[in-house]
Amino acid sequence: MHIPDGFLANRIAVLLNVVSAGSVFFAARRHSYDAAARAIPLMGVLSAFVFAAQLLNFPVFGGTSGHLVGGALLGILLGPIAGFLCMATVVIAQALFMQDGGLVALGANIFNIGAVPVFSGYAVHRLLARERKTGMRAVTAGFAAGWISMMLPAVSCSLQLSISNAIPLAVGLPAMAGYHAIIGIAEGGLTAAVISFLARVRPELLKEGASVRIGIADWAGALLLVAVPFGIFVLGAGSDLPDPLETVLEAVLGPAGERGTATVMPASGRLLEYMGLAVFIIGVMAAAWLAVRLGRGHGHRQ
Amino acid sequence: MNEYAIRITRLKYSYPDGTRALDDVDLDIRHGERVAIVGPSGAGKSTLLLHLNAVLTGSGMVRIMGQPVDGGDIRLIRRQVGLVFQDPNDQLFCPTVKEDIAFGPLNLGVPPAEIPGRILRALQDVGLDQSIGGRSSHHLSLGERKRVALATVLVMRPDILALDEPTSNLDPRNRKHLIELLSELVTTLVVGTHDLEMVVSLCPRTVVMDGGRVVADGDSLSLLADERLMEAHGLEVPLSLQHRQASQA
Amino acid sequence: MKHGFLDRYSNLDSPLHGLEARTKILGFTALVSAVLLIPPGAGWNFFVFFLLTAILIGVSQIPPAYVLGRTLLILPFVLLAGLAAALGGEQATQRLLTLLMRAFLCLGFLVLMTNTTGFAELLRGLRRLGCPRVIVMNLGFLYRYLFVLLDEVLRMRQARDCRRVGRGPAAAELKVLGSMLGSLLLRSFERGERTYQAMLARGYAHDFPVMRPGRFTWRDPVFLVAVTAFICLAFGWKP
Repeated sequence: MHIPDGFLANRIAVLLNVVSAGSVFFAARRHSYDAAARAIPLMGVLSAFVFAAQLLNFPVFGGTSGHLVGGALLGILLGPIAGFLCMATVVIAQALFMQDGGLVALGANIFNIGAVPVFSGYAVHRLLARERKTGMRAVTAGFAAGWISMMLPAVSCSLQLSISNAIPLAVGLPAMAGYHAIIGIAEGGLTAAVISFLARVRPELLKEGASVRIGIADWAGALLLVAVPFGIFVLGAGSDLPDPLETVLEAVLGPAGERGTATVMPASGRLLEYMGLAVFIIGVMAAAWLAVRLGRGHGHRQ
Repeated sequence: MNEYAIRITRLKYSYPDGTRALDDVDLDIRHGERVAIVGPSGAGKSTLLLHLNAVLTGSGMVRIMGQPVDGGDIRLIRRQVGLVFQDPNDQLFCPTVKEDIAFGPLNLGVPPAEIPGRILRALQDVGLDQSIGGRSSHHLSLGERKRVALATVLVMRPDILALDEPTSNLDPRNRKHLIELLSELVTTLVVGTHDLEMVVSLCPRTVVMDGGRVVADGDSLSLLADERLMEAHGLEVPLSLQHRQASQA
Repeated sequence: MKHGFLDRYSNLDSPLHGLEARTKILGFTALVSAVLLIPPGAGWNFFVFFLLTAILIGVSQIPPAYVLGRTLLILPFVLLAGLAAALGGEQATQRLLTLLMRAFLCLGFLVLMTNTTGFAELLRGLRRLGCPRVIVMNLGFLYRYLFVLLDEVLRMRQARDCRRVGRGPAAAELKVLGSMLGSLLLRSFERGERTYQAMLARGYAHDFPVMRPGRFTWRDPVFLVAVTAFICLAFGWKP
C-alpha cells in the first residue's frame, strides 16, 4: 500500500502533499502541549508499537499472512487527532528507515495510511459503539472499524493510481480492494481482539480515548479533509488537466517535445546497447567507489 | 545549616487504582549517608524513591535540604535529587547517548556552551569512553546502558543520588564495576535493592520496608544478620554475613 | 539483542556521510522531484540520472547489492502496472518503462539519503527545516523504543511457541494473537508512563530541549550548487 515515487502523477502527489502537510500542522496545533505533556512519550511508544506490530507477519488463514496495521486501533485508543499524528509518524519513519513509500509520494501515503484509516476507523467505531468502550458492542464495532480502515485506503490508493495513469482502475481496484477485503478481516479481528483484551485487563485505558472531546468543527474538518481529495479524484479522473509542475518546466525550458526527446527510448529491441549501457554505469559506480576508498587511504582518518 | 539531606514525615501514598503503596513512612537521612532500602517486592521501595524528587506526591511531608518538595522550587529539587531508574530503557529515551545526557542539564537551564564539557565529564565519571556519546542506546550492552543511565543523572551534579535496583540483571563483573563506581561517589546515596551483598559492602545503614511501612532501621551489619527479621520480610541473611557468623562461632 | 536492520550503513565514512542532514534532505528531495519531471521517453535524461545515482552509490560506499535489494519493495506495484501494460498496447509499454525508471531512480536517491545520515541527525535536520515538533519528538521515541518492543515481541513469541503444539483453528489463533498484541500494547502504555516519570525526574516541563545545531562546512554549499547545476544541465542541455 505504500506508494513508491514515480507512480503518481505530479499534480496528485503535490495535491496530497499539501493536504497532508496541512492536516499534520493543524493536528499538531490542535493537540495542545500543556494538556498533553504526559501524552508525548505515550504517543511515541505507541507509534513504536504500531511500527513493531507491522514488522511482524503472522500466518493467518491458509497460506496468507497478516499483521496489525493499527490505524483504527490508534484512533479508538488515542482519539482521532493524536492517533493521526502517530500514524503520520509511522508512515514517515517507514519511508526514512525502510524506504517503504516514496519521498514525494509521502503526502499520499500519509493520507492513505494515516488520515483515512484513523478517521474512518474512529468514526465507524464511534457511530456503532456510541459511548460504550467495553462490552460486546464495542468489540463488534472494533471489528467493523478495522475492516473499513483497510478497505477505504485500498479504494483511495487505487483511485489515485488510476488518475495518475499508472494502474487503470479496472486492474487496480479489484486487485487492491479484493486483497484488502480479505486482509481486512484479520485487521478487524485483531482490532476487536485487542479491544476485548484491554476491556478485560485495563478498561480505564479504553475510557481515556473516549474522553477526547470532539467538536462539530473537528467533525466538519475531518469530513472535509477526506471528502475534498476524494471529490477531486472522482471529478478529475476523466479530465486532462495540465500538470502544474510540468507547466512551469515548459515555461522555463520550452515544450516537452523539444526537450531531451532526441533519443527516444524504444520499448523493445536493442538489447546489446542496453547491456552495454548497464556495464558502463556499473563501471562508473565501481570507479567512484574505488576513488573514495583510495583517497581515504591517503588522508588522515579521524 | 540543616543537618538532614532528606526528612520524610508521615508520608502516605495510594495508586490511582486504590492500592496503598506507602503507609506512614518516617525517614531521616543525613548529608553524605549511604542508606539501603530493602524489602520484598511491592514493599514500596520504588514508590518511596519516586517521592524524593516529586515525580509522585503523596500526603505528608518530604523535605530535601530543608525545603519541602511540594510548593518549593521544583527545578531546584530535581537538580538536587538525581533518580536512576531500574530499567535503563525507561531512562534513556533519546536517539543518542549524548542527547540523553544533555536532557537534564538543558531542562535545568545550563548554558548550551557548557554542555559538551559536562557530557565528557559525566562519561568519565562512569568510566565510559567519550566515543560512546554518538551511539544510540539500543546498540549498547546492559552494563553500558546502566552506566549511561547513571551518567544522565550525575551530569546534573546532584547532592542526593537515589538508585532503584542498580545491580539487577548485571553480570558479576559489571556488577562489581558498578559497586566500585558508587562507592567512590561522595553524594548522599539512597539505594533501593534486593542485592544484600552489595548493601554489606556499600551502605553502612539499612532501612527494611514491608507493606508500605518502615519495619526496621539501623546498622546494616546487625540488621542483615538478624535471621528472624530477614525471614519475616521475605529476605535472606547474605552469605558473606553467614560465613562471618560461622567463623565467629 | 542487536537490531542492525534499520540504519546499517549510516555510520560509514564517506564524503556523503560528512554532509549536514539539511543539505542532504534538500539536495535529494530536489533530485527526486527532478526525476519525476523527466518527460516520458526522454532516454538521455534518464541515462544521466542513472549515471549520477551510480556515482553517488559508489561514493557513498554502500554495497550496491543492498540498494538493489531495497528496490524489490516496489515489486507489487510493478506487477500491477505490468499487468495493466500487458492489456494495453505499445504506448502502455512505453509508459511502464518510464514509470519503472522513475521509480528506480527515486528509490535509489531515497536509499542514499537515509543510509548516509544517522537517524538522530536526520531528525535534527527535519526539525530545523520546520517539521512540527510533535512529529520529530514522536519519531525520536519511535526510533528509541522500536528495538525495546521488538525484543519483547520476540520473547513473547518464544513463550507462546513453547506452550503450544501444532496450530489451532484460525479464530483461536487470532484470539491468541490479539491477546499478545494486547499485552504488548499494555507494556507499551506502562513503558510510556515510566518514561514520562524518568523525563520528569530530569526536569522535563513541556519542552524537549535541542542540543547542538548541525554544522555546515564548505562541502554543503558545494553539494547543493552541484545538484542544482546538474539538474539544470540535465534538462537544458541537448547532446
